[in-house]
Amino acid sequence: MISEIGQNLVGLSLILSLYCAVAAYWGIRRRDDRWALSAQRGMIALAGLLGAALLLLLLAFLTDDFAVRYVAQHSATFIPVYLKISAVWAGQEGSLLLWCAMQALFAALATARPSEKARPLVPWATVFLSLITAFFVAVTALLSNPFVPSGVALTQGQGLNPLLRHPGMIFHPPALYVGYVGLAVPFAFAMGALVTRKLEDWTAAMRTWTLVAWLGLGVGLLLGMRWAYDVLGWGGYWGWDPVENAGLLPWFTATALVHGAVMQEERRGFQVWNVLLAVFSFALVLFGTFATRSGMIQSVHAYAQSDLGSYFLSAIAVTLIGSFALLLSRRKVLASPANLETLLSRDGMFFLTLVVLSLLAFSVFIGSVLPTITALGSATGLGSAGALASRRFEAGPAWFDRVTGPQFGLLVLLIGVCPLLGRATAALSRLKARAWLLVVGALGVPLVLAAAGLTQAVSLVGFSVVGLAGVVTVGEIADGAAARSRRTREAPLNALWHLIRLQRRKYGGYLVHVGVVLMAIGVIGTRLYPFEVQQTLQVGQPYEVGRYTLVYEELRQEFVDDHSRNYATISVYVNGEPVAVLEPRLDRYSGTDQSLNIPAVRPMVREDLYLILAGWSDDGAMATVKIVINSLVNFLWLGGLVFLAGGALALWPSMQSRTMSVVAAVVGLSLLAGSAWAMWGASHGMASNEGGRPLAGQEAPDFRLALLDGGTVSLKQLRGQVVLVNFWASWCPPCQEEMPALQATWEEFSDRGVSYIGIAYQDERASIDETVAAFGTTYPVGVDAGDSIASLYGITGVPETFIVDQDGRVAYVHIGPVSADLVRSELSALLASVDN
Amino acid sequence: MRNRSTFIVAGLLVVAAVVYLIISSTGTTAQYFLTVAELRAMGEQAYERNVTVSGAVLGETISYDAMRPQVTFTIVQVPADPDEVEAAGGLAQVLHDATLDASRPRLEVVYDSVKPDLLTNEAQAIVRGKLREDGRFLADELLLKCPSRYEDAIPEQTGD
Repeated sequence: MISEIGQNLVGLSLILSLYCAVAAYWGIRRRDDRWALSAQRGMIALAGLLGAALLLLLLAFLTDDFAVRYVAQHSATFIPVYLKISAVWAGQEGSLLLWCAMQALFAALATARPSEKARPLVPWATVFLSLITAFFVAVTALLSNPFVPSGVALTQGQGLNPLLRHPGMIFHPPALYVGYVGLAVPFAFAMGALVTRKLEDWTAAMRTWTLVAWLGLGVGLLLGMRWAYDVLGWGGYWGWDPVENAGLLPWFTATALVHGAVMQEERRGFQVWNVLLAVFSFALVLFGTFATRSGMIQSVHAYAQSDLGSYFLSAIAVTLIGSFALLLSRRKVLASPANLETLLSRDGMFFLTLVVLSLLAFSVFIGSVLPTITALGSATGLGSAGALASRRFEAGPAWFDRVTGPQFGLLVLLIGVCPLLGRATAALSRLKARAWLLVVGALGVPLVLAAAGLTQAVSLVGFSVVGLAGVVTVGEIADGAAARSRRTREAPLNALWHLIRLQRRKYGGYLVHVGVVLMAIGVIGTRLYPFEVQQTLQVGQPYEVGRYTLVYEELRQEFVDDHSRNYATISVYVNGEPVAVLEPRLDRYSGTDQSLNIPAVRPMVREDLYLILAGWSDDGAMATVKIVINSLVNFLWLGGLVFLAGGALALWPSMQSRTMSVVAAVVGLSLLAGSAWAMWGASHGMASNEGGRPLAGQEAPDFRLALLDGGTVSLKQLRGQVVLVNFWASWCPPCQEEMPALQATWEEFSDRGVSYIGIAYQDERASIDETVAAFGTTYPVGVDAGDSIASLYGITGVPETFIVDQDGRVAYVHIGPVSADLVRSELSALLASVDN
Repeated sequence: MRNRSTFIVAGLLVVAAVVYLIISSTGTTAQYFLTVAELRAMGEQAYERNVTVSGAVLGETISYDAMRPQVTFTIVQVPADPDEVEAAGGLAQVLHDATLDASRPRLEVVYDSVKPDLLTNEAQAIVRGKLREDGRFLADELLLKCPSRYEDAIPEQTGD
């Protein structure tokens, strides 16, 4: 039943969207407001219809309605509710429906209550927006319909792709879609501006929409990066995958548009450029869906190939040809760039910013389609028979890093230089006043990071640029607060708060720049100082990597729903001190034979220690892990949060009431705090951080033990002797295995300066006495009251044996039962070394 | 006007720098992007050359030594031309057919790393690395696209 209703809703939407386009056009032609009004109402109804269709699909998921084929393919009864919700957009058809619903909603919102500047453009914008909506609805209804029935009665679905079972799935696609869908609005209004020849004010009218789309896209990209880092378990966050790039491309042009719009508002320049940026942003959005859904471009992200590709290509062609034709026909109206100052000025810097951003978009685009272009090149006659069958080239991460790295560096430099140059022509005096600040930034940051060990030349140059930009931006904020504080005689912090409230766009912009600068630090650190190693670890054997020592403790397994979870417990030490216990996880799905790597991460300022479980031996005695050390990566995430805060600030509507401002600030800050907690506070595979097992070479923790015979013994007392400390329990079979060996060796060594201490772990007096009697144990044995000694020694199970040398240091650690030969050789070695 | 020309010159300089970066990077770091058949056709020229090859994974050949770690598997020829793929019934169908066709060229791949989550039968594999003289392909990087279990391109895979 849901299938039928859903299909009807989508079909109706298609008809309605076409009607809106026609009605809006008719309203313009006939200059008849009734048609325009009808079109506007139609847009609202369209948003309602598509919203209802989306809710219907959601209902189908929540009620496990497997009669709908899409639900059967992406859900199952045991999937948790929050994942069922996100399953709505997990596949091709559902995500397209989400796109349509959002497109209709945005179109209705954009045309409903236009501002003064937008009003003349609304009629044509309505035409274009409804045509765009009609296109997407047509694709959904006719080619990729989520409401297709299963045709057979099903009681269970296929379940959600394991890779998508993560909270990131809830936010990442919708955020991206806010960006993708949102960019249609500036495009439609730009087209409206061209048609009506009213080109001055469209960027100002579109200010909020452009910012919203830009921010949504940015957040979507950041979420994608964090998700990849958290869950995909390869240690990285960006692969230069063509589909990743497809999200990045419109973000570049949108950023350029945001900046170009500022110039257009201030100087009336950049008109052609801004129109082109709006056109390309939308065209790149279409290209993005084309890349994701057509299968033409090789990528791990893409939906499987479908025939949607050719339709999206046609849409791109129509968009580009149509807009260029329109642009050409209106070229006389487009003002020439008016009164721009010299290059070394704010205007000039904005110009360069637009140039670099456009080039970045171009570079990444070229890199993404390189195989396709070069294939076409060879196909059209350049291919020679024989040796080199096909000259298809592909751009890998190395290519992208090399091409975009310097461009990003230049962008960060521009962030630093632009505020210094001010509005007037090159204000050298302004630069001179700031000289000491610049030196501090440009030299201070690289020095600090070099001291931390990051000494590559290229990275130091990068850090220098970053330092410069950061210092200048923060300087601008501080300057503004100081100036206001002088003028109004407020305290500086009050002045800052008022400035933030009143000049949200400007200070939001500064904050965004600070975020970008921080992210640049993270990118330089991770890209230029990659560290990755693979190692098979034996239980109990320390392994040194970087500044860390890792000890593999044990493997444990859990069975949940349709998969098994396998955890490797690994203790982490820095300079011999235990700092963390990490548990990287590997999930195995029996049905689909798929496996999922979930890393364990220990975040620090300097770097992240990132562990991935690769495999293990059947008996759990060995585990293979991949160890990645990501330098400075947390600056990337921190920068992302600051970036987000800046964008939100820039977008914030003006709030008259002071209380409301405070409430808004509190809410905003709590959300940021929540995100920060999710990244660094919540455990990512880190078990509790209590003291760990001492490593060989470390001092053995002192303790006092109450013995069975009523006496006490302390480890310190025994300094000068070799002490064997054995943790055991009567309920533990391997412990019983080793007891004869211990007794035998005790008898051999007891008069040679060796002491034994047996510590019973989580045991009962009666059973201990029984076992001791049974094995004839004569060395001192005691009960560990309250597990205090066990915690000191970081025991994770029994039996565990520590051999302490004459100086009180741990010489040898053994996890598991010991053999007599083992004990003999270790004790002999220690005794022999003293005699030398 | 003097102002305008400075702008244009500056802009062109940046453009030129970027174009240079693109071309030089393509020359040095871009790699041949080949199918299995094309790699074989290159004969001896293929040895020790940095290439990217794509193919369909044969599930039964996947062998994983978790201790080293090392994965070995075989990929089968899949046409790269989108029109050919389209004509054959879509990528999912093409991958499926490839794994059943014993006559197509194959390539054994060795990858010294953790077994990727997506490595299963009929997955599309994109491997970057070098062909060794012994005929095995040593992969530095392995990219996989999930088999279209979640799409309706292959009717018999759904609905069970």
